[in-house]
Amino acid sequence: MLCSLIRKMCTTSTTSLLQDTSSLQKTTSTYFNKAINNMTASPILSTISPPSSPAMSIESDFEDHDETTTTQPRKIKVMIIDDNSVNLTILSRLLNKHFADTIQLTSVQNSGLAALDQLTKDEVDLILMDIDMPVLSGVETTTAIRNNDSHSEHSILEQNLNVPIIAVTTSDAEEQRELYRQVGMADCVSKPIAIPKLRMAIEEAMKTVSTNG
Amino acid sequence: MAVELRDDSDNGSDFSRPGSPSPSSPTPSLSNTTSNRGQGIVDHTTFDQLLDMDLDDDDEFSRTLVHNYFEQAQRAFGDMDAAMSASDLLALSRLGHFLKGSSAQLGLLKVKASCEKLQYYGQRMDATGQHSSISNEEAEKQIRVLLIQMRREYDEAESYLRDFYGEQEQQQ
Repeated sequence: MLCSLIRKMCTTSTTSLLQDTSSLQKTTSTYFNKAINNMTASPILSTISPPSSPAMSIESDFEDHDETTTTQPRKIKVMIIDDNSVNLTILSRLLNKHFADTIQLTSVQNSGLAALDQLTKDEVDLILMDIDMPVLSGVETTTAIRNNDSHSEHSILEQNLNVPIIAVTTSDAEEQRELYRQVGMADCVSKPIAIPKLRMAIEEAMKTVSTNG
Repeated sequence: MAVELRDDSDNGSDFSRPGSPSPSSPTPSLSNTTSNRGQGIVDHTTFDQLLDMDLDDDDEFSRTLVHNYFEQAQRAFGDMDAAMSASDLLALSRLGHFLKGSSAQLGLLKVKASCEKLQYYGQRMDATGQHSSISNEEAEKQIRVLLIQMRREYDEAESYLRDFYGEQEQQQ
């Protein structure tokens, strides 16, 4: 309602409207782990101001929405895949701590097969995938996703077929990176993970989605 | 779907920022000592990033993670011994790669480097991973020596980390 009123007052303006989602974050904090619960209770994080950039959220173009709806910008739904539990723990924590404003870690899988199964059920916006895994490697899993081969009787959800996939691996030589590109991966981030590099890779991968509509 | 991600804590090792969690090292003096000793054993740029993910005054996350790594490494070493006995070079390569990842994530420099060599030797490549092929016998010989070295490096890293957290060193 308020957004509608503002739009009517600024009919010649293309100003983007941003919503303060701090209250939303509090109600969704139950889905986060203990650390995030504690963090959102902190005086600093409970007063998070709205995103400084209209591009921070996935759906920031409010002009496309029905005037009767108040669309909340939603977070990027991320799946992480690694057969090493230590690596999974670190990446989970890293995403929850450093990317909590924009990323929702929705799926943690310890194998390519488990990931494929999950992709037949739930939609994700981004996958962070280890490469060297037993049974199905990251390359093989990516190929399976792109070819809609879930290794089961169910199909991968259509929305997941072209999901951006970022390799997270120690196997990061140039010829390996080229292979990852060839099978359809968006980027490769080396372990140990440097947060700025992960951030840049995610931004670039999501820009590709934006460009392709 | 253009996304710009912002974060107020990009550099995990910068503890001077207002509002950032304080480092969870046991005592400042011990931290300085272990940081100096850590040179060559632990890359603190990487390890401090893990410490930064602890909550204020609570090192539960990093400590638990490190202990999980200890358990993982012990299992891996057991599997390596079994693979060595069976002359299963490919299994040794996989195990080397497996442990390399988590060692890298904790910043354990020497262990990571040795794991990488194991990965290459197990594929009958030389220590640098060049595509020169070595014989099975040569690979096994190199791996036999490497496993002893790797174990020593791991023990050094474990000792360092237990000291860092103020724990008694476990009897092996």
